[in-house]
Amino acid sequence: MRLDPEVLARVQFAFTVTFHIIFPTMSIGLAAFLVVIEGLWLKTKEPVYLEIYRFWMGIFAMGFGVGVVTGIVLSFEFGLGFAKFAQIAGPAIGPMIGLEVLTAFFLEAGFLGIMLFGLKRVGPKLHFFATCMVALGTQISASWILSANSWMQTPDGVTIENGRVVVTNWLRVIHNPSWLVRLPHMLMAAFITGSFFVAGVGAWYLLCGKHENFGRRTVSLGLGFATVAVACQLFVGDILYGTMLHYQPSKMQAAEGFWEENSASPAPYNWIIVPDQANQRNRFTLATPVLGSIWLTHSLRGQVAGLKNTPRDRQPMMGMVFYGFHTMYTMAILMFFIVAVSLWLRVQKRLFSTRWFLRALVIMTPAGFIATIAGWYTAETGRQPWVIWGILRTADAVSPVPGGALLSTLIAFVVIYALFITAFLIYTLRMIRRGPEDAPDQAEASGSLMNALRTQVMDHAATAHPGEGG
Amino acid sequence: MDLPLFSAAFAALAITLYVMLDGFDLGVGALLLREPDENLRDQIIDSIMPMWDGNETWLVMTGVALLAAFPVAYGILMPAFYLPIIVMVLSLGLRGVSFDFRFQAVGQWRRFWDIAFSLGSIAAASMQGLILGGLLQGVTITAHEFSGSIFDIFHPFPILTALAVLAGYVVLGSGWLHLKGTAAVRALAERSLRHVTPIFVGLAIATCIAAALVQPGIKAAWAAHPAPLIMIALLFFAASGVLMTAIAGKSDILPFLLGVLQFALGIAGTVLVIFPGIVPFRLTLWDASSSALSQIFLLTGAIVVTPVILAYSAFAYRVFRGKTPEKGWE
Repeated sequence: MRLDPEVLARVQFAFTVTFHIIFPTMSIGLAAFLVVIEGLWLKTKEPVYLEIYRFWMGIFAMGFGVGVVTGIVLSFEFGLGFAKFAQIAGPAIGPMIGLEVLTAFFLEAGFLGIMLFGLKRVGPKLHFFATCMVALGTQISASWILSANSWMQTPDGVTIENGRVVVTNWLRVIHNPSWLVRLPHMLMAAFITGSFFVAGVGAWYLLCGKHENFGRRTVSLGLGFATVAVACQLFVGDILYGTMLHYQPSKMQAAEGFWEENSASPAPYNWIIVPDQANQRNRFTLATPVLGSIWLTHSLRGQVAGLKNTPRDRQPMMGMVFYGFHTMYTMAILMFFIVAVSLWLRVQKRLFSTRWFLRALVIMTPAGFIATIAGWYTAETGRQPWVIWGILRTADAVSPVPGGALLSTLIAFVVIYALFITAFLIYTLRMIRRGPEDAPDQAEASGSLMNALRTQVMDHAATAHPGEGG
Repeated sequence: MDLPLFSAAFAALAITLYVMLDGFDLGVGALLLREPDENLRDQIIDSIMPMWDGNETWLVMTGVALLAAFPVAYGILMPAFYLPIIVMVLSLGLRGVSFDFRFQAVGQWRRFWDIAFSLGSIAAASMQGLILGGLLQGVTITAHEFSGSIFDIFHPFPILTALAVLAGYVVLGSGWLHLKGTAAVRALAERSLRHVTPIFVGLAIATCIAAALVQPGIKAAWAAHPAPLIMIALLFFAASGVLMTAIAGKSDILPFLLGVLQFALGIAGTVLVIFPGIVPFRLTLWDASSSALSQIFLLTGAIVVTPVILAYSAFAYRVFRGKTPEKGWE
């Protein structure tokens, strides 16, 4: 069997980046949630908020840890599997990720220790500040990485000299045409993911009839955030669809599952297709008549463009893009349905007692993760065959590493990451089953930002715990 | 202005901070393997728990600075060191998740994560040493592309440097526990410093001699700057001697600082030998650098943000200063 380095390098990158994105998505969502919860605790002093904070901080800490270590892999993987991409695009991508490290990773890491272990040492106000800095770090990080990825989707501000990218205008590299649409899309996705996660766990407690106060607060808060974020996402998603239709028509042609240059009029809406890329047709299609015209062209007779508009050597694989997009879209519809029903039930004051709805929330716990991963599959497979749209083909970006080595390391990644996800799931489920009340009590420390920065506060803390020194 | 030189200085700063900071927490991880008492293992891990993430970020910074400022070198070195880098990142991953998972696990599984933590630390440290050896030994390139075999690195010389770096990290880690540990942990640190410091010095000498034999460029460097290199070697011996006498002394921090000094001297010597190579003895900084605007962007960020990072990182260390509480942080 001949091992194709291009395919193996792509599978390895896809596997590691898919695994990684689960955790930052969770971190962005949960960090913002923890900021709100700690803020509410400081304001109201209600112990239930501290309980919520401590419970979700435990899960956040584990997820953050997995996110950090799988992120380190990616910072080297640009060169491990795709050395030519690094050499050609490093001058544009590298400084952006460099600034991400400087402005986000260090911020998160610097304050994470204080957030996780420092409440007694620094007091609640400075601790709140640390939580805010960690949350800010996750969002700055998202901002840079979306900028870098959007530059690969819609490159701008560079010229090519001797086969290498030379930056001519940094503002246009960072603020490239799709960045400010894709960034809010990803942030909203993360907030929605975190909200459904939080609400799903709360709903499970309500169904079991335990930790009811905790359950009611987290279901209410989680659905509240989800409602706002889903409403925003409707607009952002619609704008992004238009943006990508303009800049990457082939991606959207593949996403809707049509081949002919112009579909029938009125156009059907495709639900399930079995594409036959070689013959440029679908072997099987399950569709609803007329719906395609209404949804995609906002008219009764509009036609939808198919993938044959794009020359064959520039086409993405239709199946991957179509199913990535449709998985995301289906999840979006389900989540929209859930938040719409939640508003109705809230008005009726039946939010915490409608059992079928609580069951639906539990089932929807991972919905945001699935939608986010599917969305990234749409974005990344839809950009193919380019790694940098219009500038560099993925096939020309691969490292001079033999296929056998790539295959062995891919197996190593699968084995180790399987261990990570298994342990993460087991421990997370165990923490959820154990519930929030087992979290150790936290004595109320006092202190302000200014006091904490003065030494005597910490010296005081040290004398309160003999043996710690000072 | 010589931008590549400034970028190289920034990358050198990042890797120096990485080696000193993650060096001690990898060394602490390596020491854990032989500790049978679970309570002591808890204390040992608590001593590095709030810091490890920040320490490791300097590794990412080094890699990304290389990608941004010297993309040609990055694109040569990553494939050249493909296997040790993959093993390193997987090992760092294994030890990184163990920090959190071990606290969730009970009984045998806690032991499992402690072993994973320790073996991960040992493997990551060794791979870093192997990569150093590979750099000094020299990589095969054609034009601007790696053209050797990814197995070139598995030779006696890189294996020697791997052992030297591992021993050095254990010295740093023991110095850290000498600073942070009480009672039994402190005694463990003292024992380990007594045994491992001479081994480290021996391996360091062997590495210096072997390096000059395997790489003509290093022999030439000794001929070109004999005085500073001999000075560095003498200071290294002096630091090692003082370290041996400082064990179990009045100052908690002195052995750690002397370990840091040993590494600073080692890095200074390495820089002197390979400068101005970024792919040592093959490509110079200026051959491998990205265009001016890329360097300016990275350097502006680095100059503005690095002092802030150093300030709040120092604050985080300060919050957790003093002896690590025997019952954990909370």
